[in-house]
Amino acid sequence: MQIRFWGTRGSLPVAPHASTITDKIADALVHANGKSFTDKEAAAAYARDELSFAVGQGYGGATSCVEVDAGKGAFVVCDMGSGLREFGLDTLRRLSDGHRPKEWHFFLSHLHWDHIMGFPFFVPAFVEGAKVIIHAGHADAEEALRRQQEEISFPVPFHWLKADIEFRTLETGQDYKIGELTVSLIQQEHSHASYGYRFCDADGKVAIYSTDAEYKIENMDTESAMVDFIAEADLVIADTMYSLADSVSMKEDWGHSSNIVAVDLCHQAGAKRLALFHHEPTYSDADIERMHGETIRYEELTRNGAELKVLCSYDGLCVEI
Amino acid sequence: MESGSLDWNSEERAGATVLAPTGRVDETTADAFKDHLLDAMGKGPAIAVIDLGGVEYMSSRGLRALTLAQRAGQGSDTTIVLARPNETMREILAISRYDMVFRVADTIEDAIGH
Repeated sequence: MQIRFWGTRGSLPVAPHASTITDKIADALVHANGKSFTDKEAAAAYARDELSFAVGQGYGGATSCVEVDAGKGAFVVCDMGSGLREFGLDTLRRLSDGHRPKEWHFFLSHLHWDHIMGFPFFVPAFVEGAKVIIHAGHADAEEALRRQQEEISFPVPFHWLKADIEFRTLETGQDYKIGELTVSLIQQEHSHASYGYRFCDADGKVAIYSTDAEYKIENMDTESAMVDFIAEADLVIADTMYSLADSVSMKEDWGHSSNIVAVDLCHQAGAKRLALFHHEPTYSDADIERMHGETIRYEELTRNGAELKVLCSYDGLCVEI
Repeated sequence: MESGSLDWNSEERAGATVLAPTGRVDETTADAFKDHLLDAMGKGPAIAVIDLGGVEYMSSRGLRALTLAQRAGQGSDTTIVLARPNETMREILAISRYDMVFRVADTIEDAIGH
């Protein structure tokens, strides 16, 4: 199973200003200190392998969209953030080898804007003969998607889409079979509720998608339900938008969690890898890189068993499970 | 998860209540830590010093118990000061940004203000 991150930013898409690129290039040139490169490939290898990630690369700015690829069968993707446009185009390219059906399964964490804004730009939905199945814990998913394509918001109405689009409302406590994958869900604390998903492939490998989840300070005892849900997972993609202090003070009730709580839950659950996700839109690449480093350190300080590998998701990351 | 036990000492010093837990504040002991803290806040001290000198490390459950104690103390205007964290605790307070919402003192005397 491969997990591809098409959008990792929280709340609002972001893009670098001209000065952001200038800063990165300037930092790279200072670091290179006169070093010369035989060709572009050598320069790219230097940027990728020798510079810090925040200087030589970057985390991207598309909102939540994560593909769960079992390698065959229908395409499976979590959320429809602005990263969905690129995912849609990429899947059409992958269809050209003729080995996969023209079928896409969505699993929606919830219906807030940043998690559905990519759907009007999802090209396969415009394709005759395509099958699109939208799974959600919310019964009003169809209303949310139709509403964002009403004339006041978007020029192309939902009913113009040529694909066969079906909505399925899922229930917690059930297992759903989608091709090679077994999928279950858990309700999370968030405005209008959100759902986390557990994907298990034919080899028993498990990936968790849990974003926009707040762990209320007055209900800490209930966190054991999430620990059970993510038990022994090979990869946990978790909402780590805020610092712990922010999440229990000025940003309390905003529906998000912290890197610290994510590590603790993964430790308790015996998870193998954690992917930091739903990055704060005001964070620069350097801020996210610092948060990643701090999270790795917190994991080391509090580890009481096997190591939890802490990854930091970015647009374009692919994780093999 | 079962609540674990936590060694706990409490004393009055120069008008402040000094609370001294000992051990690890993790998922097994966080509830006991929280209960001790809330019990102490219920007595409405002007200053509550949490002596971290004997705390090996603290997970998010323990940190969030500090926030619950802070809220419980608001009615009586209790000021909570964290004192004598070891290097691990200093790092945890910095990573969680709790060092920005609580005053952290090097000694009990500093915490009390003497």
